[in-house]
Amino acid sequence: MLTESTVTFIALGAIFAFSFYAVLNAGQLSLGQAGFASVAAYTSVLVAPDPDVVGDVPALLVALAIGMTAGATAAVVLGLPTMHLRGVFLAIATLGFAEAVRIFVLNAEWTGGAQGMSVPKVVTPAIAWIVLAVVAYWFWRSAPTRYGRALEAIREDELAAGAMGIDVGRHRLGAFVTAGAVAGLYGVLWAYTVRLVGPADFGFTAAIDGLVTAMVGGTTVFVGPVLGSTFLTLVPEIQRALGVEAGWIRPFVAGLLLLVVILFLPGGLAGRIPRRLRVPDIAADADSGGADGEHPELRTRVHAPRGDVVVRLTGLSKDYGGVHAVRDVDLEIHSGELLGLIGPNGAGKTTLVNMISGLVPPSWGEASVLGVTAGRTPVHRVAAAGVSRTFQHSKLFGRLSALENVLVGGHLVTRPTLVRRLLWLPSARRDERAALTHAARCLDRVGMLDAATTRANALSYGDQRRLEIARALAADPSLLILDEPAAGMNQVEAGELARLIRSLADDGLAVLLIEHNVGLVRQICDRVVVLDFGEVIASGVPSDVAADPRVVEAYLGTEA
Amino acid sequence: MQQLLNGLFIGSIYALFAVGFALVFGILDRLNLAHPAVFAASAFIGIELVTVGGLPFWAALPAVAVVGALLGLIVERVAFRPLKGRPDAHFAGLISSIAVAGMLIALLQWRYGAETRRFPADAFPATRFDVLGAQVTLLQVVIVAVCLTLVVGLTWLVARSRLGRGMRAVAENPTAARVLGVNVDRVTATTFAISAALGAVAGALFAMNVNSAQLGMGSAIELKGLAVIVVGGMGSLPGALVGGLLLGVSEVFAVQYLGSAWRDLIAFALLFGILLLRPQGLFGGRRARQV
Repeated sequence: MLTESTVTFIALGAIFAFSFYAVLNAGQLSLGQAGFASVAAYTSVLVAPDPDVVGDVPALLVALAIGMTAGATAAVVLGLPTMHLRGVFLAIATLGFAEAVRIFVLNAEWTGGAQGMSVPKVVTPAIAWIVLAVVAYWFWRSAPTRYGRALEAIREDELAAGAMGIDVGRHRLGAFVTAGAVAGLYGVLWAYTVRLVGPADFGFTAAIDGLVTAMVGGTTVFVGPVLGSTFLTLVPEIQRALGVEAGWIRPFVAGLLLLVVILFLPGGLAGRIPRRLRVPDIAADADSGGADGEHPELRTRVHAPRGDVVVRLTGLSKDYGGVHAVRDVDLEIHSGELLGLIGPNGAGKTTLVNMISGLVPPSWGEASVLGVTAGRTPVHRVAAAGVSRTFQHSKLFGRLSALENVLVGGHLVTRPTLVRRLLWLPSARRDERAALTHAARCLDRVGMLDAATTRANALSYGDQRRLEIARALAADPSLLILDEPAAGMNQVEAGELARLIRSLADDGLAVLLIEHNVGLVRQICDRVVVLDFGEVIASGVPSDVAADPRVVEAYLGTEA
Repeated sequence: MQQLLNGLFIGSIYALFAVGFALVFGILDRLNLAHPAVFAASAFIGIELVTVGGLPFWAALPAVAVVGALLGLIVERVAFRPLKGRPDAHFAGLISSIAVAGMLIALLQWRYGAETRRFPADAFPATRFDVLGAQVTLLQVVIVAVCLTLVVGLTWLVARSRLGRGMRAVAENPTAARVLGVNVDRVTATTFAISAALGAVAGALFAMNVNSAQLGMGSAIELKGLAVIVVGGMGSLPGALVGGLLLGVSEVFAVQYLGSAWRDLIAFALLFGILLLRPQGLFGGRRARQV
């Protein structure tokens, strides 16, 4: 059953599946990998030296290098115009690319048309498995790095990832180019295995096979593609061994098995493998590394001195098709100040903070936030300037653990470790441990260290809100925006939260707090701004604002 | 003129096929990749009904539609309903529908073998018309009439009927629709049944148009269907109609001016141009992003 060719094809299938894994792990669905493989195979077969002249292994190495480069280049060329597409749109666009490549190859003269070109057989099972090991090594080592976590965060929630300072566009393109390079490897290996490079091998069916292999194996753990390929390659072999030869039974059983895996094994075959993450002992660490958490491994951020203006809004307005969501707001927020923003439902509070954090461009006016102009600067740059926020509807990275969520929150203050981890440098280990300790401290600050390994979507509502605060704190922000953090909390939880928020402002942060719980706002805020129908109707110290007749009117209506 | 008409005939079949795709995507936000398998299955079943059952070709169409609707119900029940509520339902739905498509094609192979099937020679009337100097057969007129009637009828159904209101409510927000008393499961199943019935009729008409049915015919039209719904705007029914006709006509002209080898490139050129210039498609509205 395990003939030489079966063993080789398991490795090839796994490599191809890794090229789908590379993008699926970052939440993108691309079907263009067959096109990348095709470009790579044809380029290397035409350009690479003849194995009879230079020897098998050198020729193959050159061919693989050419193929990887060609695949990655094709991915850049296709990726630059299509990276703004999402979900099935990206899938269809990339599929269209692959199909266009196939039709081109079929009709061009120099490619040998439908017959293809013959290629010497060079690949042995050992070579195929060595290449697979290299590819798997990349995905194994890159997963628990800042880069790998950023990709997972993008998969879980792109918007929140951007608000944590992750350059979503660059990371998505990075994943796409990785997919192109891996697909290129596959294309070259395939050609030098089957002794032929022809258009039929890189068609729609091939793309679907690769996708299916990746999904069956699982797209969140790096062994997934290997498991998927082993399973799907062996199924027909087992059927043959059992003497099932009728033409239709084999595809039928393959389809049935695929369906069973998808329906009953969410996360694929590798979905059952638990993710390990050691929660650092922060008490022990505090003894050795300085009590106030000064870590040379983390980037330190410079905060504005207490009392400095961190946000200046001038005439800020937002129209949605004629509806004035926010109208002509002038506002300053100072370092170390806890500013409450209240107002009835639909008053424009969330729109206002979306403009301050750069998610929504203003229609008029200007928002100068920590030296950048929000709305004209990409979201991740606004975050890099020192703005961090929570969302009204919790936008946690649902399938990541609480600690991993906070680790992503620390994206801006931790160092990239990908290259050093690939090279096993000890400094990468130190930096990763520092990042973990930092994340654990932030979790501890909101009192959630006990839940560090719980998946975010399994947490209670109140815990999710606190986790969002911890994640926002991990970025070491200068301005923290909290959008209704106490919603859905009971009296006791809200009281604890109030103390936490007050302590943050006392540490010197500027905090902008949107809240419906007017009692809580009066209790802790230094200053309150009231918004109604998009306009500021009152601002000042809490007791004055609460007595303002216009505020009472906005909340309770006029006395008849 | 002849070319233009030929383009419209094939284009109306593309449109009918793509409308089924677009209906499921527009309402349920899912891409059903078992649709092309239903398309192929109905072509074979249509031929069997005419050859063995002795039905005249026009009577085979409603029968095929019923079979298609049943297949659609099965696809929904087996490949999509079990995934409800899973965070990866989007990707998983693609894969499970691919799995069901593979099973369906395998069953076709078992029942009909791998060879090409054809209608009997006398299945279609030989009546021909002369339209503005171009030759048109009665069959081609029937194809266009059936396609246009079904697409327009469906558009009316979605826009006006009680069922259509339920569909649009589910499209907007399934949870809210359920709270308001819409039977979401039933609306979903009905959507799949209607979509598959249209795909089935398209398959039978396609087989009549070229007088053959092959196991691979579904995958050949699948990419074109995807191109059509992107060009028209994902989920837009009028968009799918216009996109289908546009694709049919441009293909015919491409064959004439560029040669038949490049015909299939037209769909992807269109697809790419639209995705780059107007990602929401010709008739698609831009969806607001929620924060």
